[in-house]
Amino acid sequence: MIQVNNLVKAYNGTVVLNIPELKIEKGESFGLVGNNGAGKTTFFRLILDLIKANNGEVLSQGVDVKSTTVWKSYTGSYLDEGFLIDFLTPEEYFQFIASVNNLSKGDIKNFMEQFDEFFNGEIIGKNKYIRELSRGNKQKVGIAASLMSEPEILVLDEPFESLDPTTQIRLKKLLKQLKDEKNVTMLISSHDLNHVTEVCERIVVLDKGTIIHDIKTQQDTLKELEAYFAV
Amino acid sequence: MFKWLLSHQWKEMTRSNFWQKSVAINLIIAFFIFIMFLYLILLGLFIDKILIEQYPDGDIFAIFNGIILYYLGIDLFVRFFLYNLPVINVESYLHLPVKKSKIVNFILLKSTLNIFNVLPLLVFIPFALKVILVNYGGLTSLSWLALILILILNNSFLLHYLKRRFIDKPAIIGIFALTLVVVAVLDKFDIFSLSDYSSSVFTYLSFNPVYILIPLLIMLAVYSLNFTYLSSRMTLEDVNVKKHKKIDSLSRVKYLENFGDLGEMILLELKLIWRNKRSKTVINMAPLFLFYGLLFYPQDVYMEGYGFLIFVGVFMTGGIMFNYGQYMLSYESNYFDGIIANNIDYTKHFRAKYFIIISTVILSYVLTIPYVYFGVKVLLINTATFLFNLGFLSMLLMYFSSNSRKRMDMSSGSAFNYQGLGATNWIMVLPFFLLPIFLWIPFNIFGVPDWGIITIGLIGILSLAFHKSLMKIVVKRFEARKHIIAEGFRE
Repeated sequence: MIQVNNLVKAYNGTVVLNIPELKIEKGESFGLVGNNGAGKTTFFRLILDLIKANNGEVLSQGVDVKSTTVWKSYTGSYLDEGFLIDFLTPEEYFQFIASVNNLSKGDIKNFMEQFDEFFNGEIIGKNKYIRELSRGNKQKVGIAASLMSEPEILVLDEPFESLDPTTQIRLKKLLKQLKDEKNVTMLISSHDLNHVTEVCERIVVLDKGTIIHDIKTQQDTLKELEAYFAV
Repeated sequence: MFKWLLSHQWKEMTRSNFWQKSVAINLIIAFFIFIMFLYLILLGLFIDKILIEQYPDGDIFAIFNGIILYYLGIDLFVRFFLYNLPVINVESYLHLPVKKSKIVNFILLKSTLNIFNVLPLLVFIPFALKVILVNYGGLTSLSWLALILILILNNSFLLHYLKRRFIDKPAIIGIFALTLVVVAVLDKFDIFSLSDYSSSVFTYLSFNPVYILIPLLIMLAVYSLNFTYLSSRMTLEDVNVKKHKKIDSLSRVKYLENFGDLGEMILLELKLIWRNKRSKTVINMAPLFLFYGLLFYPQDVYMEGYGFLIFVGVFMTGGIMFNYGQYMLSYESNYFDGIIANNIDYTKHFRAKYFIIISTVILSYVLTIPYVYFGVKVLLINTATFLFNLGFLSMLLMYFSSNSRKRMDMSSGSAFNYQGLGATNWIMVLPFFLLPIFLWIPFNIFGVPDWGIITIGLIGILSLAFHKSLMKIVVKRFEARKHIIAEGFRE
């Protein structure tokens, strides 16, 4: 589904990401962990063609993401608040996202119903602009919007951050459901080892821009990771 | 504590983006400020000559004093729109053991360090030296200056209070302005003379300096009014201006939805402009562009030539376009990543913006048609520059909008807040204004200036005919530069 070749990103001569080769299969749930500055967000930005690589390429279904925008129609993503149009109400924002993805009014309605539990009554019908929402609620809007187009690939950066415990549990359930029922390929980064080991079947550890671990999640993966990070 | 506050303010100012421009632009701004200062000082030095010409047999000092009340009224009006309330980031201090009164005093004192308090002195001080000192002696001159200073500060504090109280109700200031105009008209026809009143009061005060205590006491009263008002509103809920406002009616505009995702993008653009303070200020100031013609058209010097009229035409029909167009991508800096990560068709994205641009240009043109009163020539030139703006400059502007790399804070912003609205704004687009004039110059040299005007219009029509191809070039440049833009916006 996603293939990375010789990917290098440097700022002012300092290499912040260097991935010689990485392959993410269709339906795989791929967890990315690492400390601050390890290159997680940089990697996701490269996958979404938000920044230019100094070298190498990211192929999405065999096509370089730089060269076309076809991949956008089957890729949903939410990295940070910079994705949200803050002067819209959540409803307006969903409508806009639906419109650019050519979804119908009925689709929007279905979507709203589907996410009713996830929103926990704090998003819809509140008559607030997104910029007036709390961080957690903004996060909910962003994650929900990324799922609107029923993507085949989902890219989420720190999705559990600033969510309340109830929503964290609901999000985990939702992600597992997407994987099991729709076979969605998921790329999820997190600081929180608990969440990511629970959701992802494959964990990649980034350190200073390079992959130092690439493991299948098993019983003792969490312990293994904790041991690694407890320096 | 004051020392700390002062140093933080100083750092905030010196580290602001405003200075991080190229040396050349800073120099040009400095030059314009210098010219403005020079003009004001010259006005102060020669205002007696101007007054004598108008009232050959009057007492200059009395006449000048007669203007002061009007000056104060106009000053209040102008400040209401152009003056930024001094804000310090109170949140960062409220949780610390700092006395509230200190912060309030600091805010109020900071408000006096203001260009509106400095500029008038450039006129008043030369007048005090040249006219009052020579004719009435040092004491009168000094007490008059003290009086003026008190009045200016009084206005400053008064406005500070009024603006905080009535920021949501500009209608009040409209009523105030109307009253001022009515009084001026009554004055003109000698029905009720505010100027006589103003003249006698201020002349009396200058010769009897003890009574200056009265305006001084008024000023202190206004200060304490401010003080109590601010002190009682020093909690997080109050200083955060993010009060919950009602959702505007744009959310219910269903008409544009009929045009599919293009309509949706136009709607987004409208919301962007309407719901952000910075862009809304541009809209609020837009009517001013339309009055620009009044400065030039009544004067024969300009009417005989072409150059200025072309300039005025471009400015009036394109003023809003220039303001919006050069920053249209910076306006999106908050969510630019979302724009490029989502499945958004860039051509449609730009077409939505183009739609906004041509709407403002057409509207401006229609509103300037009445200037035909000053002659058909005005209408012809405005039509040519309108077409030029509509077809050509709009595309050029969109092409160069991909140069933007500076993040823009959309929430704060009113006039004289420099980012995106200040003087540099116009320096950047100066070449755009000059372009049609350069086009016209060769025709003028060969003695056929009218052909030059026609050419300007024709280029506009041609560009309009080829707008699809031009749009392709615009979008292509955007696609090539989007990573650079996004990187700049993230900083």
